[in-house]
Amino acid sequence: MSGERMTDTFGSRTPAAAAKPVAPVAAPETRQRSPLWYAWRRFLANKAAVSGGSALAIIALMAIFAPLITIAGPTEQIFLTSALGFPDSQHWFGIDDLGRDFFSRIVYGARVSLTIGFAAAAFSVIIGIPLGAVAGYYGGRADWLIMRVIEIFSVVPPLLAAMLLGALAGGGFWMIVFIAGLFGWVQVCLLVRAQIKAFKEREFVRAAQALGATPSYIIRRHLIPNSVSPIIVGFVLAIPLAMMLEASLSFLGVGVPPPTPSWGQMINTGMNFMYFYWHMAVFPTAALAITVLATTLFGDGLRDALDPTLKGR
Amino acid sequence: MTGYILRRLVSVAVTFIIVSVIIFLMMHSIPGGPFDHGDMPLPDAVRERLMAQYGLDQPLYVQYVRYMWAVLQLDFGVPFQSPGETVLELLGRAWVPSLVLGGLGVLIGAPLGMLLGIAAALRRNSWLDYLASVVATLGLTVPVFVTSMLLILVFAVWFNWLPASGWGSPTHWILPIAAYATIPMATYARYTRSAMLDTLNKPFVMVLRAKGLSENKIIFQHVLRNSAIPMVTVFLPMFIGTATGSIFVEAMFRVPGLGAYFVTSIRTRDYPLEMALMLMITVMFCLAYLISDIVYAWLNPRLRHGGRKG
Amino acid sequence: MSTADTQVDQAAPPALELKGLGKSFRLKKGGFFRPGYVELKAVRDVDLTVPKNAIVGLVGESGSGKTTTGIMALRLIEPTTGEIWLNGENITALEAGELKRHRRKMQVVFQDSYSALDPMFTLAQIVAEPLHIHGIGSAAEQTDLALDWLERVGLHRSFGNRYPHELSGGQRQRVAIARALILKPDVLIADEPTSALDVSVKAQIINLLQDLQEDMGLSILFISHDLSVVRSLTDTVVVMFNGRIVEQAPTEAIFTDSRHPYTRSLLDAIPVLNPRHRRARTFRSRDELEADNPQIASGDLPDGPAPSDQPRLVSVAPGHRVEAVVTQ
Repeated sequence: MSGERMTDTFGSRTPAAAAKPVAPVAAPETRQRSPLWYAWRRFLANKAAVSGGSALAIIALMAIFAPLITIAGPTEQIFLTSALGFPDSQHWFGIDDLGRDFFSRIVYGARVSLTIGFAAAAFSVIIGIPLGAVAGYYGGRADWLIMRVIEIFSVVPPLLAAMLLGALAGGGFWMIVFIAGLFGWVQVCLLVRAQIKAFKEREFVRAAQALGATPSYIIRRHLIPNSVSPIIVGFVLAIPLAMMLEASLSFLGVGVPPPTPSWGQMINTGMNFMYFYWHMAVFPTAALAITVLATTLFGDGLRDALDPTLKGR
Repeated sequence: MTGYILRRLVSVAVTFIIVSVIIFLMMHSIPGGPFDHGDMPLPDAVRERLMAQYGLDQPLYVQYVRYMWAVLQLDFGVPFQSPGETVLELLGRAWVPSLVLGGLGVLIGAPLGMLLGIAAALRRNSWLDYLASVVATLGLTVPVFVTSMLLILVFAVWFNWLPASGWGSPTHWILPIAAYATIPMATYARYTRSAMLDTLNKPFVMVLRAKGLSENKIIFQHVLRNSAIPMVTVFLPMFIGTATGSIFVEAMFRVPGLGAYFVTSIRTRDYPLEMALMLMITVMFCLAYLISDIVYAWLNPRLRHGGRKG
Repeated sequence: MSTADTQVDQAAPPALELKGLGKSFRLKKGGFFRPGYVELKAVRDVDLTVPKNAIVGLVGESGSGKTTTGIMALRLIEPTTGEIWLNGENITALEAGELKRHRRKMQVVFQDSYSALDPMFTLAQIVAEPLHIHGIGSAAEQTDLALDWLERVGLHRSFGNRYPHELSGGQRQRVAIARALILKPDVLIADEPTSALDVSVKAQIINLLQDLQEDMGLSILFISHDLSVVRSLTDTVVVMFNGRIVEQAPTEAIFTDSRHPYTRSLLDAIPVLNPRHRRARTFRSRDELEADNPQIASGDLPDGPAPSDQPRLVSVAPGHRVEAVVTQ
């Protein structure tokens, strides 16, 4: 063993570095902050994102507590005598052609739109994470195969394929969730794959491998937690896409079947009445536009906050 | 480069075949055929005779091979709904409005979007920048039928300046073109802005400024050219967005174009028309994919030998 | 140095032994119609021994294959040829489950302490991870031991719930060392652990490693291009060039009696602070060095090997081997 100390080369040797440290430096008295805390700060600084998030929260609350803020169920035709009535103090958004309170329908429509959005986003994430993780971690043939599948999905325009699928399978709530998930996973998969590819070369992964950790342990404990940002971003950005898909399919009559309230459907009906009963067209259009816009602003803000390098993509 | 193009060609061809098989299978595997549709059920004998006449009683792969063989000779069959003409003739009629509206929409929207994006990048955090952001976000998130609806409500219903629907005089064109144009405009405004900002923040721009080059020369001789590469990649999403949007624009404005026929063919299960339209769209998208890949590789030598998604 | 006071146990099997280790990569070349490969030999025929309780330095410029050798020894990438022996057992072909038992005995510290620690883990979690992976102790015991180890490497226990990004480079490297040693391994592979650090911090880390080595009886393979660190820390130095070993000798012999031109060019590259002592330095390219093989007459060598035209490793003194062409 070398008896020579490094005193001459690098200055005096500190006793603190000895095996029994004399005075280890205590951590400064600030609270520990995880990387997510900084992301949250960046998010709060973004006005558009915060307003989008707030609007989305309000819409979600309205959807959850719909029975408390509406005067009738969405399918109850109890105002038939005043069908197509314009907005007034009792019927804020007027009455539709079948005698239903239009405000109730719009609010319950938010339920449909948001549930489909969230369910489809969850579905996309459930498919996208494992596939992205496998493609990113193993590379090689698995990656090649998954990338070719993604290529096929990117050549088929989602909306057209969704229309075809929707028309053939007869629409319906879960069918739309399935279709939206089927096209939503691609984005999540690509985001997760890129993140895992970048992180698997990191030395902490090598260190875990040197400890004998299994690939599944490394993916679960290290790579997926480090992909939290792209997963959240992928999840939130999949929501407006699914909502748009639902509205588009319902608008074309191959989505959620009536009488379930769907904004797309209402816009389609509203088109026939717009010259004389403007409220039939204006309110569902505005509701859809505001919700999709709010969700997108929220998602964009989250993305910028969580991963500054993705900004503007 | 030749090797790269060949590899992409093969890959795109394989993709096309897989997609065509999937579409074919999808359309034939769902219960309910074209003759189950409608209010009057056909007698069984008549139904069987019709099925045989259109070859629908054969095994699926026979139907597929036969169909693709015919397609290679541009024979897409006869649409069930209007047996008086071939699918080819119908498409020949329908593409004119779609091309006129979509083409004009892109030709007007894309340059406007680019100008807006460039202006926004050069005058960061000005009202122009905010306008560009609003236009880009609205155009990219709000479904095009909502935009169309708003245009109709404002210009046709309230002000009564323009006709809301139809296809005849050029006054009919204005609103649908405006609706179409929102998609390329929003796409290009967003990406031009971010590509310009990316380039403006590169160290070489700082060097150009440091050596005293005029700002105009920096922008026009260096920044714009270097921002061109990312903008090529936008072509594909823009194209897909515009093509998909045609369905809704044509439905909203009741234009007899490809998009409108796509909707009718889906609603009525018109296999030959549906299949022809889907194949056409897939070919179009594959070509767009290929072209944008090749142009991208051509502009960016580093990518010539790598893959697109690396 | 391998002097009288050395504690190296010559009788026991060496802690780590690499026998004829080699790695080649296949690089794609050619076009669409004529796909082909070129073989790139990153590491060729490396024989290397780390005796128990010794520190062996592995030096060479970047691209010389020293890091690849270290990573292969850890079996993080599979060698193309050769064998890896750990504590007298051949671990070259062990399956994952079997290998896991042996992995406890050999751990690693990397150069880039930033990327070596998972940013989403707290320091206690990072240091406790080896215990977690090997299922040692309850969660509370794991955390406790991890905090002990943080203290042992000179960080207060209160650092346990902080995140890596809050630390300095030297502190992160201490955490990485704690993680590597918590399982009490026999062999530590230190891949340039000080290259990314400031000079003063570098000395602290070197001293820490030295102390821990003495306390735990560690055997260390110390990979570095920093010869001054290598000189003060190691017993034996192995010099790699273009993927192979060109010289191997007791540390002092390398610095006073180097025989290979590449070793000498490395020594020449050490900066000298006093301008009066500045050497005349000539830059020599890789190709020049590659062509310049030392020639040694067979009669000058202790075991007098047969002459040959091809350069190979020959023994010139006890524990001192050099790549040379043996002449008549």
